[in-house]
Amino acid sequence: MIELNQVTKLYGDVIGVNDLKIELESGAYGLVGPNGSGKTTLINLLTGQLRPTLGEVRVFGEDPWKNRRLLRRIGLCPATDVLYPNVSARQWVTYLVSLYGFDATECEDLAVESLDTVGMKSRMDRPMGEYSLGMRQRAKIAQAIAHRPDLVILDEPYNGLDPVGRQQMSELLSDWVDAGKCLVFASHVLHEIESITSSFLLIFGGRLLASGTSDELEEFVTEAPQEVTVVGVGLAPLVAVLAEQPWVEAVQLDGRDKRLRLALRDPSAFYEMLPHWIEKYSLHIEQLQASQSNLSAIFESLLRYHRGDLA
Amino acid sequence: MMLRIILSVVKFELARSLTAGRIGIWLLLVLFPVALVGTLRLNEVPQNSAEAWGIMLYFLVPEVVCLLGLLLWATPVVSTEIEGQTWSYLALRPSGRREVILGKYLTAVVWSFSATVVSSTLSVVLMGDAGGLRLWFVMCVLSGLSALAHASLYLLIGLLFYRRTIVTAVFYTGAVEYGLSFVPAVANKLTINYRLRGLLSNWMDWENARSAAERVFGSEPTIVHLSVLVTMTVVLLVASLAKVSLSEYPTQQEG
Repeated sequence: MIELNQVTKLYGDVIGVNDLKIELESGAYGLVGPNGSGKTTLINLLTGQLRPTLGEVRVFGEDPWKNRRLLRRIGLCPATDVLYPNVSARQWVTYLVSLYGFDATECEDLAVESLDTVGMKSRMDRPMGEYSLGMRQRAKIAQAIAHRPDLVILDEPYNGLDPVGRQQMSELLSDWVDAGKCLVFASHVLHEIESITSSFLLIFGGRLLASGTSDELEEFVTEAPQEVTVVGVGLAPLVAVLAEQPWVEAVQLDGRDKRLRLALRDPSAFYEMLPHWIEKYSLHIEQLQASQSNLSAIFESLLRYHRGDLA
Repeated sequence: MMLRIILSVVKFELARSLTAGRIGIWLLLVLFPVALVGTLRLNEVPQNSAEAWGIMLYFLVPEVVCLLGLLLWATPVVSTEIEGQTWSYLALRPSGRREVILGKYLTAVVWSFSATVVSSTLSVVLMGDAGGLRLWFVMCVLSGLSALAHASLYLLIGLLFYRRTIVTAVFYTGAVEYGLSFVPAVANKLTINYRLRGLLSNWMDWENARSAAERVFGSEPTIVHLSVLVTMTVVLLVASLAKVSLSEYPTQQEG
């Protein structure tokens, strides 16, 4: 479905994405990364809005920059808002569908069908200036799916939705995926993506950190040191002791000796020894924090690898 | 299919532009020459010089009204979409660039041309003996040509300088279409207004005006003026379409 071969995009001196190599079969994928990580640049490359500075982009075997007819098979819901205050959702979606060359009746039918799918049929004739952010978000999704594309790309689709709206959006996207359609879903909120798909692309600083299912990624970082934070008083003596242990990867004590950050290859050995050290050095431990074993923890671990915090 | 898409763009753009603000501006443009002509008539300015009245109407309608309308409606067609963050919804459609630009171009022409026709009609009626059907018809045709040519010019300026588009277009209009076009040199032949003035004097048979200011009104035959205007319009439109097709329009800036 998607193939990026050593793709780099530069905005002048700024790197948008850097040497991306991705090959994705048809399916649903979550594109995860913090704001400014390169998600939108990647989406713009996939939809032919940007030309790669280096490398080659292929979607369904075609170059989206050179072959604009390919866009007939792609639907995009950008993160940006819609600002046509005196136009109704029906008029707007009908207009956008007409740009694919459908005749007027077909455009109207497709627009109404997609607005019905996103639960906007009863309000589709009101001017969009009167819509809430959530309603505009639904209208945006409607325009992305109205022409029945094979691949839908969503950039932060949950923006502005209330909890009920989020639940409905998740159901809508799950139905889309269950129908066998392709989906690329960008977000910086991990649990939103986890509710739709278990396949992820983790992107940071314009680079692909990792890809695969959450299980594969978890397995990938099993060998990685786990971060443990100890908060307490008089932690300085621990530093020297820990430095001698073979299963300690890194030790970092903050300036006031109150917070000790550890990267541990064998956390169980640490937990076994800790009561002994508490007694021996009269430590007063207030808090012990270990990174959780979920996608968030995996992402944090990969980011630390990327930054060079971990070996 | 391309024509159907362009007409769909025109229909959408006309529907969404029917706002009180835009209709107010349209009325202002219509009434500006009418008010001026009406004031002159009320002050009983002599009507024996049809050329003087005609030239005044030409400068007021096909030049000032038409250009002001196009500055507002043709120049910012892409910049307003980019600033409003709606361009990305159009640009990712297979026909979302060229056809949309052509549709928006025609919409701008329709708005400006309609204002000039109504304004010409009312002004010619007020002019009485100095007006007439011939002057009205020539004003309408010149307004149409002015709208088509200037809209293509402003469209290109808007695409090349979409960050300070109106300022650039106003500067260009002042320097070239109102400055250079009156300079008695070869360069003025490259301006749209020179060609329109040439057509005005040819179609109205104003030999006195031409002999008094040949460099301003030109001496070329009608076919030359028309050919140059059509060529300029087509070249500017093709350049605009090439620019919009080859430009990168990301959905939003990202670091």
